[in-house]
Amino acid sequence: MSLIKVSDLTKTQKSVVESVPRGIKWLHGPAGTGKTTVGVRRMLRLLSKDKVFANQILVVVPQPVLGLPYKIAARDPKLEAGGRITITTLGSLAQDAVKLFAPLVMPELGFANPYAAPTFLSLETALYHMSEVAGQIIAERGYFDTVTIARNRLYSQIIDNLNKAAVVGFPHEQIATRLIAAWGDKDPGQVTLYQHAQDCAEAFRQHCLQHNLIDFSLRVEMFRLLWQMPPVRAHFVQKYRHLIIENAEEDTPVTHDILLDWLPEAESGLIITDSDGGFRRFLGAAPNSATRLTDGLNARDKIVFTDAQSFVTPPALQALTADFATSLNQPVPIVPVDDPRAALGHDTARYYTEMVRNTVNHIAELIHVQGVPAGEVVLLAPFISDGLRFFFAEELSKQGITLQSHRPSRALREEPTAAALLTWAQLAHPHWQMTPSSQEVVQALRLTLPELDPVRAQFALLQLYKGGRLGAFDALPPGVQERISYRIGAGLQTITTWLEAYQANPLDELDLFWSRLFEEVLARTRYGLVDDSPLATVAANLIDSARNFRQAMGEIPLRRALGHEYVRMVRGGVLADQYLRTWETPPDDHVLMLPAYTFLMMNRPVQYQVWLNLGSSGWWERLYQPLTHPYVLTREWDANISGQVWTDDDEYSTRNETLYRLLLGLVRRCRTGIYLGFSELGEQGDEQRGPVLRALQTMFRRYETETNA
Amino acid sequence: MSEYRKSQQTILNYQGGWMGVLAVPGAGKTYTLSALAAKLLSEVELAADQEILVVTLVRAAVGNFSQRIQRFLGARGGLTVGLPYRVRTLHGLANDIVRERPDLVQLDEQFTIVDERESTEILAAAVTAWLRTDPDVLHWYVDEAQLTRREVMQRNLPELFQRVAGSFIKQAKDATFTPEALEQALRRFQTPLPLAQMGAAIYARYQQGLNYRGGVDFQDLNRLALRALLADPTYLARLRHRWPYILEDEAQDSSQLQERLLRLLAEGGNWVRVGDPNQAIYETFTTANPKYLRAFVAEDGVTARDLPESGRSQASIQALANWLIEWSQRSHPSPEVRRKAPLTPPLIRSVAPDDPQPNPPNVPSAVILYPKPFKAEGAEGEIETIAFSVQRWLRENPDRTAAILVPRNERGTKFVDVLRQLDVPVVELLSSSASTREVARRLLAVLRALSNPLSAPFLADLYRALYDETAEDQAAVNRTAKLISTCRQVEAFLYPQGIDWLDEVIPDDPDFRTHLDDFRKQVQDFHAASLLPIDQLVLTIANRIFTESAALAVTFALAQRLRQESFIREQNQILANNFVAWSLADYAKQLEEIVRNQRRLLEMGEESSGFDPDKHVGKVTVATMHAAKGLEWDRVYLTSVNTYDFPSNDATDHFQGESGLVRDQLNLDAEALGQLATLMSGERYIEGQPTQAARIDYVSERLRLLYVGITRARRELVITWNTGRHGDQREALPLVALRTYWEQREKP
Repeated sequence: MSLIKVSDLTKTQKSVVESVPRGIKWLHGPAGTGKTTVGVRRMLRLLSKDKVFANQILVVVPQPVLGLPYKIAARDPKLEAGGRITITTLGSLAQDAVKLFAPLVMPELGFANPYAAPTFLSLETALYHMSEVAGQIIAERGYFDTVTIARNRLYSQIIDNLNKAAVVGFPHEQIATRLIAAWGDKDPGQVTLYQHAQDCAEAFRQHCLQHNLIDFSLRVEMFRLLWQMPPVRAHFVQKYRHLIIENAEEDTPVTHDILLDWLPEAESGLIITDSDGGFRRFLGAAPNSATRLTDGLNARDKIVFTDAQSFVTPPALQALTADFATSLNQPVPIVPVDDPRAALGHDTARYYTEMVRNTVNHIAELIHVQGVPAGEVVLLAPFISDGLRFFFAEELSKQGITLQSHRPSRALREEPTAAALLTWAQLAHPHWQMTPSSQEVVQALRLTLPELDPVRAQFALLQLYKGGRLGAFDALPPGVQERISYRIGAGLQTITTWLEAYQANPLDELDLFWSRLFEEVLARTRYGLVDDSPLATVAANLIDSARNFRQAMGEIPLRRALGHEYVRMVRGGVLADQYLRTWETPPDDHVLMLPAYTFLMMNRPVQYQVWLNLGSSGWWERLYQPLTHPYVLTREWDANISGQVWTDDDEYSTRNETLYRLLLGLVRRCRTGIYLGFSELGEQGDEQRGPVLRALQTMFRRYETETNA
Repeated sequence: MSEYRKSQQTILNYQGGWMGVLAVPGAGKTYTLSALAAKLLSEVELAADQEILVVTLVRAAVGNFSQRIQRFLGARGGLTVGLPYRVRTLHGLANDIVRERPDLVQLDEQFTIVDERESTEILAAAVTAWLRTDPDVLHWYVDEAQLTRREVMQRNLPELFQRVAGSFIKQAKDATFTPEALEQALRRFQTPLPLAQMGAAIYARYQQGLNYRGGVDFQDLNRLALRALLADPTYLARLRHRWPYILEDEAQDSSQLQERLLRLLAEGGNWVRVGDPNQAIYETFTTANPKYLRAFVAEDGVTARDLPESGRSQASIQALANWLIEWSQRSHPSPEVRRKAPLTPPLIRSVAPDDPQPNPPNVPSAVILYPKPFKAEGAEGEIETIAFSVQRWLRENPDRTAAILVPRNERGTKFVDVLRQLDVPVVELLSSSASTREVARRLLAVLRALSNPLSAPFLADLYRALYDETAEDQAAVNRTAKLISTCRQVEAFLYPQGIDWLDEVIPDDPDFRTHLDDFRKQVQDFHAASLLPIDQLVLTIANRIFTESAALAVTFALAQRLRQESFIREQNQILANNFVAWSLADYAKQLEEIVRNQRRLLEMGEESSGFDPDKHVGKVTVATMHAAKGLEWDRVYLTSVNTYDFPSNDATDHFQGESGLVRDQLNLDAEALGQLATLMSGERYIEGQPTQAARIDYVSERLRLLYVGITRARRELVITWNTGRHGDQREALPLVALRTYWEQREKP
């Protein structure tokens, strides 16, 4: 990602970058009109020309990935040394504040030990605690009998409700009341569900207060309280004198509240908002609330860009947005001058796998024939199934192209390396009574001893693994030893000897167990988990996760040993986070595949986009969660239409608007062309009839009719 | 002459409103309905967000419809010329409705649809739990002496009650009764209804099992779709706007609930229902009933039309089928059956001689109703005699098609075995489709070899699966497979360390050696992939062994399915606190079951446009009479037409569903449903009446099945019967009647 030179900026851009660092300016407009470039240049200018100290500059982003252009620019070695620019989310800032000032509000909030150090919960450790609290309530009171939902998702939705209440800024006791009011009299069963979810949320909060645990929602609530305290506010306001607020429309109302207080007291502020943004609405983003930040600004401090000023989107692609607007009942943004078909590619396929192959051929042509860099091609779909990702990776690799995918939802336990380490932990702690299956042991053996082929691994298993214990290689008859081979046998023997010695004095801390296993056994050259870096990364993630879990448990009494509890949680899918964040800096020589919304949040234009599963109605569907509602638990719904029922009309218009914003967002981040990946039959063999497909079909038909006429 | 027959043209003149069409076999229902869809698409001005909705019974028909509609309009599918219509099965439609607004029915967006196998497992667990905690009902119905027998308690009774509870739950769901509503109704009811109590208790447990897994079953889909539409009138209004025209094929097989769903969507709009109540043969397995379509056609405000002309069969076969209708109405020995009117007009009429699809020439001698009994099996039994007969016939008619139709799958498998022994070219059309099974068979061979890497026989099977398709020399493939199966230490072949087994067995044949080296490399690749999650593993294998898109597409769907199964399994484990990862052997077993049981498994490839008998000229298709519906062959053998498979409500008839364990020959399924009906309607329950009514229903449905069988034949029809497994079965009464009619007709 190279930075545009100041000399290449437009006059308007330059005027903002070079303006005196006093007062507030607002940049607003479509993606691709150079607003972030201005933000980054402005940040550098503050340092170089205006001689502002780096640690006085705060760049607020709604999520870390949007801070990437700032981070890269700030790493420039040519910048003067001294201090560090803070590029962060308000959530992180809240954590800093709470770490420093928690005792000021803990008594008021009812913490059981207000003067003891609190423990911060990550999403996964919060999930663990929720599973304990809500699991017990469900078992005792028979809650949620009528809702069709897997347990983990149930817990995460209750947590989500608490987080929504915090970022929108209403008391968490009101969650159910608000949801019930918007539900109306449709089905009384749903009302009961909301009430049950409320009970669980409150019990969870009590549990946190009782054990000095701070989850995300409590952290935000504490920060809000702290912010009202003059010394705390002064700490931040005096520390950060210059604010750059990137993509404010993707941030939450509580963030906006705090910034509203802060901006008048800052020396300078630059607010950047995308028109037609708000892609994180299901996470609490409030584009309308962001406009409050700009109230009262002079017209000269409001700089508004239009599509015509886009540095990214060619006119043919801009024309496409007009067709989408018509199909989705949205105001048409531009009068199309070009034929969008010129920027679109597609093939006809009946079967899904045929579509994959057509798409791969098209990408190969772009990269190998037209010389497009692989990093300039992205594959986008509403959801990416593992099967789809894998199939693409295989097909692309046949053409010598590497695929990088973003899979935040993939569970740790599904990684073979993690599974192998869990198996070793189970074997080392037989008193947990979690005997691994034969297949798990074979897999652990194969991954740990790369020289061991699957046939000998099976044979060794039959000889050595009995009653949940791995026997000694040395005790096998010579003929059997020979069949396994002495070389592999030596490796096996080292492990079994080590396990036996360990069991005499086992550790409760699983991260320490694994560290020891690595240090004392696996670090030797014969073993496979250390050399190979992707495997080692997964292993490191697992160890981190176990450590976090241990730390998050603090002094809380557990029903089982800590390590045992951890393995149970990972196996049960409660602790599932991958910790992999490599996609933050996607490599230039890889084709990237990711969900469409994730791509939008990376805010990185590319030359070519491939839209997959075009006919899927997933493009149009929002996240449906029976215990929560992303549009009802908002300040907007509360302020304007309190007491009204959320109807299908609301649903329909919201969906159309959201889909339109999504498509607009994608088009505005595309420089050259879009390939439409379409097959008549979808992943599961159904005919595809989604709204994106219908809109495109209508467009093609219209142009064809016009051409014929 | 016009492209359409007069009766077809009347339907194509449809302008709007509700219309019901009763068709006869071979009248071109699907053809006419797709022509109507095409006509509406070209004539009606639809808004950008509107579509014509076509609903049909089975997935295979979905592709068929789409292709026909596109053909009528001279268009191809694809991106540039997509047309605003949607073809769905009724379940597919319900799924669309629920998926679009899962929040209206308390579903998480990631809800899964559990298949029959998984739902059977959940049901089995619910029944076992119920039998343990609340077994009193057994004493009401089961002989006390039986209750002391171990096998009865451990196997027979759980199986019986699973079946009873299964039907009860299906029916309760069809009536949109929740377990809670049943519970309340039971509390209000004064008289004890032990089977309804049992049903309600198991239903509650079963539903809880589904909810915890985040899953719904197929019945739930319909129920929930209806609930979603009723929950939010604005959603209903939007869908009514989206589908201004609804065209429904095979309407005789829609259940009451499905009809309610469509009725709601079509209210104030346009709805065309086409079906043949005489071909309703799913009553026993589902909650469908042909009476709903008949009642619809008779409703005020519904335009009633017939499609009585058919060019399929020669006149003698048509006459036989028509006579069966008349006999069932006038002369069936059971007055209850006559009252039930299982078969009704319109009678089948021949088409005009200048019709583009005229009837084959009338050859009365080509109808053979074999009078003598056969033994069920063995020398000169029914199977052997027919196998020889079809062998002869195919030799004489190499450019024609033939089918042997059987009442049940197991019987079909026996036919296939004997035909194969005789080297008769045979096509199976039994539980699942041929190509899906072929794909699965090869995948299975790989999974089995991977799960048992030490087994040389499995490795040999894998070799066969990889090479028998492409090999010109089948004998060579078998020889090599045999050689591989003799390998005593598989690692010495696949991963030699020191001694290479290949050096020992083929020291001097470089070509063969290279071939086996390739195979070894292939297996090593599979082994390397075996650490991957199951969906990725299956796709990796498929990518190496299949080249055709259709096979890959089937694999893709199978892979997703396996992945989903393992997810559901995980949810169970979380509940049970017992985490054991699935092994490859488990997945292999799962794959087998999916293919065997999954009636709704994705069927792509040949099946996407339906099975076409005309693609199998010179071969004999073996199919159940149920699977043969909608298909036709030049010569058809209808077999096993005896009193066991086609009872007539005679006192000596045995009825499937009446267990010997239960007192007074009660049909517990029927009695449980009778008690459920009492709960719903408040009418009095009289023990034994539902059993009696179920017999009449069964007799009626089997008559329709016979009718379906007869009308599959174009030119030649042979009907035979056997004396059954114990030699005590007689010729089915309808067959006796048909034969008598036929013999008298032949007399001058």
